[in-house]
Parts: sequence; C-alpha cells; structure tokens
Amino acid sequence: MSRSVWLVAEHQDDQLHQGAAELASAARAVGDETVAVVCAAPGGTVPQQVAPSVDRVLVVEDPALDPYSAGLWAQAIVALAREHGPAAILLPHAPLGRDLAPLLASRLEAGLMTDCLELEWDEGLVGTRSVFRRKLVARERVATPLALATCQRGAFSAAPAGAPGAIVTAAVDIDADAVRTRLVAMERAEVGEVNISEAEVIVAGGRGLGDAEKFGIVQTLADALGGVMGASRPVVDQGWVPHDRQIGSSGVTVRPKLYFALGISGAVQHVVGMRESDVIVAINKDPQAPIFEYAHYGIAADVFKVVPALLAALGS
Amino acid sequence: MRIAVCMKAVVDSQARIELDGDGNLRQEQLRYEVNEYDLYAVEEAIRLVEENEGDVTVISLGADGAVQGLRKGLAMGAAAAIYVECDPFFLGPHGVALLLAAALREEGYDLVLTGVESGDLGCSQVGVLLGEELGFASTTLVVGTSAPADGHMQVRRELEGGEHATVQIQLPAVLTIQSGINEPRYPSLKGIMAAKRKELVHTTPAELGFAELPTPRVTALGLAPPPPRELARMLEGSAEEMAAELVRILREEEKAL
Repeated sequence: MSRSVWLVAEHQDDQLHQGAAELASAARAVGDETVAVVCAAPGGTVPQQVAPSVDRVLVVEDPALDPYSAGLWAQAIVALAREHGPAAILLPHAPLGRDLAPLLASRLEAGLMTDCLELEWDEGLVGTRSVFRRKLVARERVATPLALATCQRGAFSAAPAGAPGAIVTAAVDIDADAVRTRLVAMERAEVGEVNISEAEVIVAGGRGLGDAEKFGIVQTLADALGGVMGASRPVVDQGWVPHDRQIGSSGVTVRPKLYFALGISGAVQHVVGMRESDVIVAINKDPQAPIFEYAHYGIAADVFKVVPALLAALGS
Repeated sequence: MRIAVCMKAVVDSQARIELDGDGNLRQEQLRYEVNEYDLYAVEEAIRLVEENEGDVTVISLGADGAVQGLRKGLAMGAAAAIYVECDPFFLGPHGVALLLAAALREEGYDLVLTGVESGDLGCSQVGVLLGEELGFASTTLVVGTSAPADGHMQVRRELEGGEHATVQIQLPAVLTIQSGINEPRYPSLKGIMAAKRKELVHTTPAELGFAELPTPRVTALGLAPPPPRELARMLEGSAEEMAAELVRILREEEKAL
C-alpha cells in the first residue's frame, strides 16, 4: 500500500510560511506520496504556493479558517484524516504545532513525536530528537497506525520546487461555534530604540554571566567594538535587558558581520536567531557548551578574564 | 477561581548525563530539580488567586523527586498538593495526561496551568493532551493572563520573531505557561513553615482506576550521544594571549574590525 505523508501548511496573510518546504522534504523522505493540507479562507493563493513542493494539495476552504485557529484547523484535519487515512502528518515545532499537533494526536488517537531533527520510516515513523538540553539524542517510533511528528525549524533542508501537485478542494463542514478560543488581536514585533537586526556588530550575553550588574560587561565590549548589545532569552526573562534585545526564535533573527556570544550556552532557540552571522566568536567557560559548534572562533575561559584582556588588546 | 498547576521533577541537565555500555541512561547519578517552566506556572496561578480569590492545588506525578517540587509549590502559596506515585519515564505524554486527568477531573477546576514544556525531555504535549482528556479548551506559550470575566479570559500568546497574539479562551481551560511571564517568588521562611501543615494527598495509578499503566503511543528505541559537529577554532593560552590572537584574527584574517 502506498504511504501517504501529509504536512500542515502554515500561512499568514495569504503568505505560505517558508517552513512548509522543509516539512515537504521531511515528508518526501518517509512517504511515497506527499500531501499538503491547506486550511484557509476561500479565494487565497496558499494552495498554489505550496503545490510545487508536494504531490497533492488538499484544501479545506471556510472563512472561519483564517486566521489560524487550532480548534477549527483540527476539525478540518481530523475529518480529512479519517476519510483518507494518511500514514503520518507532519507539523512545524512552532507556535502552530505546539497547539495543533497534540490536539490532533488526542482526537485521532495517534502517537506524537515533537521537535524532530530527523525522520525515517522503519516499520513505522521513527524520529530523532534532542533530550537533556542536547546532551543526548533519543530515537523513537510511533506505535499507532497514524503517526504525528513536529519538525524543528531549520533541521530539514527545503524541498526544491517541482511540477506543481494537483490541488483538490475537500468538502468539510466547519462548525465555527464549537471553537472555544478566539483570536482578539495580533501584535507585531516591538522595535526598540536600537534595531539590533540591522547592526553590523553584536555582542550578546547569556545567563551564564551571573546577574544584571555583571551583564554590563556585554555593553562595555559592544561599545569598544562600535556594536550593539543583545541577549539570549533567559537574560530577558530575568529582566536584565528589555525584550527588544532578545535574539532567537521568539525574538529577533540577526545576521551581523561579527557576533560575540558571551556566556551563552547555545540552546537551539538562541542559535536559530544568530547562526547565519558572518563571523561568530564564543566565549564560555564550559568547553562542552553547544555554542562552540556554531562559532567560528572559540575561547573556553572565564568571560570576566578574557573580555578585559580583549579591551586592552583592542586599544593597542 | 480554582486552579491546578502541574509540576514535573526533571533531570538536572547541568549534572552529568551519561550512557552505560548498553546505551542505557545511568540513572543512579541523575539529579532531579523542579522544571523551571512550572515555577512560572505556579507563580501565575498564585497571582491569579491573589487578585481574583480562589485556591491553587499543585499536582505532580513521578518518583520521589516530585514531592520536593510539590513542597516548593506549597511554600510559594499553593493550598494543597496531590502526588501520584509512578514511574513517568515509561508513560509518555499521553499516559501522563490520562493519569493527571483522572486525578483532577472531579475537582471542578476553572483553570489548569502547566509549564510550556519540560526541561529534560521537552515533549511539550501534556498540557494540550490533558485539556482534551478533561474536555477543556487549551492554548500554549502563554506570556500574559488577565482576570476572568463572563466565563472567559484573555491571554497573550508568544509567537515567533517577537510577534504576540491576544486570544480569548473559554473556561475551564488549560494554559501552558512560557518562561518570563512573571518573576517566580522565592518561598519565604513563613511559607516554608506553613507548607509543612498543608495537605499533601498521596495517590497511585491503581487508586485512580488504572489497573495497568497506559500503553505509550510512542516507543523509545534508544539514546545516543549527539552526532559530532565541526567545532570552532579554539584559541589557547593565557587570557592575554587569546585576546591578542583573537584581535589579530578579526583584524587581519577576517577583516571584521
């Protein structure tokens, strides 16, 4: 029997999210047929946008499906999955997948693997995921007839565009009154006094620096380099610096010419926001910190010893 | 309003985590701590009842380390605690959600909070699965709550790239709480003393109606060290030597300064 693997196409304002092509390549690696499911308002172009990445596009159109609502999208996808019986459904490990994937898992009685880095088919959908803050990787296999997985952003290279797959509109009744969550408003990203996404030199610090006062060393080095100060999420959570300085998946993505990471361990949420920087320098006293896997130059030593030496060397 | 908060004892990832010769986790050297995200959830629950009346119950499921977390929740201000004794390593998120739902179902909670994910396994599923088992609405990645009104409450959800969504959710509901939503309080000495007199209900899967533990929907195949990646060019020497070398590289080789 041919194995149909679906992906849920993420979109906003009639614009397909670029992550859909990543899911398509993940789906292609494990399925005979790849199908994109599009839940959208009538008249949009998302089906046409995703068609070149997949063999087939299944579209459910209803005004209530835009903007995204986990409850209503789940209604549509559950109905389609019950009718067509896919082998697996893939979603992004992102705000959409965090809501929607467990809803589908519950309603379709399916096992779910989250934040997968690799997928393969071996008597079922097998996924690899990081555990214990990336110190180990776990391999898992879904044991139910339908398998669900969410994929880490950037872990799969985007599928090249091919001949557009056929677009099929499915008739599914959406009961908009059954939904218990409603989007009230969207807020765009706040832009602070300094727009760090445009900076050419960024010096970012992590919670490893200790406290808000000690974090000042980040600004000192930034000033000496003519750059701007940034931070990882835990620093912002602690209130040491404002949110507009947060670099990573829930903050800003940056691509400066020079990036310094001081006392940053290198959690994936941070790394996705800075790994495209031209030159990355990491200073961290833990030689096993994952940040050294992304840096071009590494110094495994105490930030508070190295940075003063660096300031002196820069002045000479 | 009645609020339950789910807490997990997670493996301390700062400690040594190693595999034995057979590829099994060396469990004897694992240390447990309270899942950091859950502390934000406890704090948010306590603030909500301080402002809107009600009470907070903390619940945890797992081996001994779970009780320590519950005591911290009580010391922070929860009124009661429920401890479900079992081995969560082999349950999977679905099984955990079934057991938690069985323990919480009859208690008439308006709100159930969990951390957004666990710091050790990071499945990030239990909150939504629990909502489905309880028949509650749910949403994830919550970084702001407001006072409930007319059977609803408005919450702020963190999206990507600095975007946020304000969502109105019908009660009863499950919210998964993201870090940074508040500043979790440190238990006061008075709170720690008071916690010792608070009720800590001990139960088991059997008492909750599970003759056998639920079968996991995902099978663990094995653990392995992460694949090696290309490391940075590591500089060596004294702080002054490394600093001088780095400045030379950035000026002369990279022309980045």
